[in-house]
Amino acid sequence: MESKKKQIAKQLVGIERYNPDNIEPLVSYVDFQAREPAAYDVEANLALLKLLQFNGMSKPDTQRKILLKSLTALPASDFTLCKCLIDETTQHHTVVARILKLHDDLETCNFIGFWLSLRDCAELVADIVGFEDSIRRFICRVISITYQTIDKVTLSELLNTPVDTAQGVANLGYWIDRYRWTDSDRHVLVSNHDDSIKTKNIVEKISFESVMGLMKL
Amino acid sequence: MYHSEDFVEDGLSYHAYDSVYLKGRQPPGAGMEGNANYENEIARQHLASMIPKEVIEFLLYFQKAINENNVPELQIIYESGFDKLSEEFFRQESWPEPDLVAPIVENDKIFLILYKELYYRYLYSKVGKSMIGQQREESYYNYCDIFNYILAGDYETGSASPGPVSLQLPNQWLWDIIDEFIYQYQAFNQYRCRVFNQPGKNEAEFAYLSESPAWNVMSVLNVLHSLIDVSNINRQLEIYNSGGDPESVAGDYGLIPLYKNLGYFSLIGLLRLQCLFGDYYQAIKVLDSVDFNKKSTYSRVAACQVTTYYYVGFAYMMMRRYQDAIRSFCNILLFIQRHKHMFQARNYQQDMMLKMNDQMYNLLAICLVLHPMPIDESVDSQLQEKCSDKIRKMQSRDFNEASVEFEHSFAFACPKFLRPSCAVPEPGTRGIDLNREPYNLQLKVFQEEVNQQYILPTIRSYLKLYTSMSMGKLADFLNVSEDDLKSHLLCYKHKINNRVWLKGAGGLSGEFQSNSELDFFIDNDMIHIADTKVSRRYGDYFIHQINKFTELHNTLKQLPK
Repeated sequence: MESKKKQIAKQLVGIERYNPDNIEPLVSYVDFQAREPAAYDVEANLALLKLLQFNGMSKPDTQRKILLKSLTALPASDFTLCKCLIDETTQHHTVVARILKLHDDLETCNFIGFWLSLRDCAELVADIVGFEDSIRRFICRVISITYQTIDKVTLSELLNTPVDTAQGVANLGYWIDRYRWTDSDRHVLVSNHDDSIKTKNIVEKISFESVMGLMKL
Repeated sequence: MYHSEDFVEDGLSYHAYDSVYLKGRQPPGAGMEGNANYENEIARQHLASMIPKEVIEFLLYFQKAINENNVPELQIIYESGFDKLSEEFFRQESWPEPDLVAPIVENDKIFLILYKELYYRYLYSKVGKSMIGQQREESYYNYCDIFNYILAGDYETGSASPGPVSLQLPNQWLWDIIDEFIYQYQAFNQYRCRVFNQPGKNEAEFAYLSESPAWNVMSVLNVLHSLIDVSNINRQLEIYNSGGDPESVAGDYGLIPLYKNLGYFSLIGLLRLQCLFGDYYQAIKVLDSVDFNKKSTYSRVAACQVTTYYYVGFAYMMMRRYQDAIRSFCNILLFIQRHKHMFQARNYQQDMMLKMNDQMYNLLAICLVLHPMPIDESVDSQLQEKCSDKIRKMQSRDFNEASVEFEHSFAFACPKFLRPSCAVPEPGTRGIDLNREPYNLQLKVFQEEVNQQYILPTIRSYLKLYTSMSMGKLADFLNVSEDDLKSHLLCYKHKINNRVWLKGAGGLSGEFQSNSELDFFIDNDMIHIADTKVSRRYGDYFIHQINKFTELHNTLKQLPK
């Protein structure tokens, strides 16, 4: 992955970035990223979107894949950056509109709504390997900065790992272990925020040296 | 790098460096034959004799300074001489046409291309909107001549070997060349869109613009990239940042101030251009080698600094890196406050800078509403003076009022976005306003971001009142269900947790941090809130009073008994 990234980066140096010949290699690079969960290259994707913008072209399928991959990059604002490079006509396209809705749900942290919307458009994300798990990573991250203790049912709803099925319980257990949270029956201890989130009092400190000249002692 | 393949596709050409500028260009004076020639000559001589004597003397003096590379003199000529004469003789019209000036300076090619640059720039500032395609194209070809000369060094000067030219110009002029180049590209782009919007209105212009290769986005990018490459400015900056000697990596061209400065200004030019196309990531990436914290000798040109921080701040804001945006804006606003003497509205450039100043206050207001944090007091007091009403409306509980105010502020403060594609629109799609399209897109993205955060200021105001609160209670206050409240609280934490640049060069780097005034965490059903209290500052007040009394005391001592 690293070598491929470097290879593509070399092709995008300076004015070469705008060479339309780069479109085809970048398109297949996007396909590669879709197949590999760990592969993600925001710079190459933005370069491709830009080439399409410059040449007045549109490649709906590739754009779809780029948008979905940038959803997996949350909380980085990559998706917003992509939106800025895709013209409005394409954005009104049904497929893109649905992906925009997914993004909106995630950004407003309406996770339960997100899972519902996703169920309706499962076919859109089918070819992005590891999509759901990447989103779960993001959700866990937000949970860990917000909660100290969260009850299990809420957690399972947010992660879409329903506790009434054996599979769901196993999945939930996987995510709890992965983030080293503590499982205590009905609650899950996420992390201790007592120390990091405390009321701050900003007091002005005036040192003697700084006013000595003024007082001419 | 400078190879000569052409790749043409759909009217947008990816050209290599040395072929693009000369394509389709008519040599001056071509096609003039016969009697008409003689009559034109008489008319021309008549016009030439109407040029005031002072102007002629000025032009000759100007030419001498350029040929002698007398930079201090040139600076005075450029910064005040030209303006003074413009005020005196050319307030309503343009400077004498280059064809009239040519005989006066004995057809000095170098002087003429520089004179034309000033001529067209002045023309734009006076009658910009009504200039037709052909005039704009002529100005474009003049820029091509200038850059051809600087980069390939062979503009009919007879020098056989390409190499750096010996010309030297004041930094302010170099910055203005790049700045104006991009500005004219912007103006041409918008002009072309205006004509394309109404094809029936002006058939001749429409046809002309559909064919014209001038002001092609690829050529503009090519110029900027060539200047950057030839001066090795990125390598120089990297070495400079790590404390080394930039001259060791500068290369032949990079050692010369003309090229070094043009290289640096081209970086800022690229930053600006990428923002205009909506590619904020690339905009900040272009400045990868620039360390904003280090005191830079590279840019003493105030307009360059202001432009840099404006676009950097705007790009950060669109990337939702509010803390970085706020920091950038505060830096430059403080700089402007401290150097007020540089910003009297003497000419159109300084007008532009003052406008940018106001725009940045607006953007700062937007960022602070979305991400409150403490800022420098003097900037804060100016901000309150200019924008307190807007801030109040943006924080309003009324969704519509807030939304409208955000849109107004964005519309005022945003740059003029551009459509990079040169393709002539299809007949069926001509209902769209091509000029508004890019702006509408960026506005839409911005508004969606703002809408996602709409409920957060309200939550913040409630949380400020308590140190701990139950979820149920807050849900009651806000009149939402507990499930919805959970989403809102998660959203709050998500939105204030952004990437923040910490140190070193490379504006894109940074750690995820949240430095907002108000923070909290949830423990089962209880929300524990942490606020930031700033106690009153008394130091400044006392110092001020002490000084006043000392003065009073001294005055009293001097009074006769």
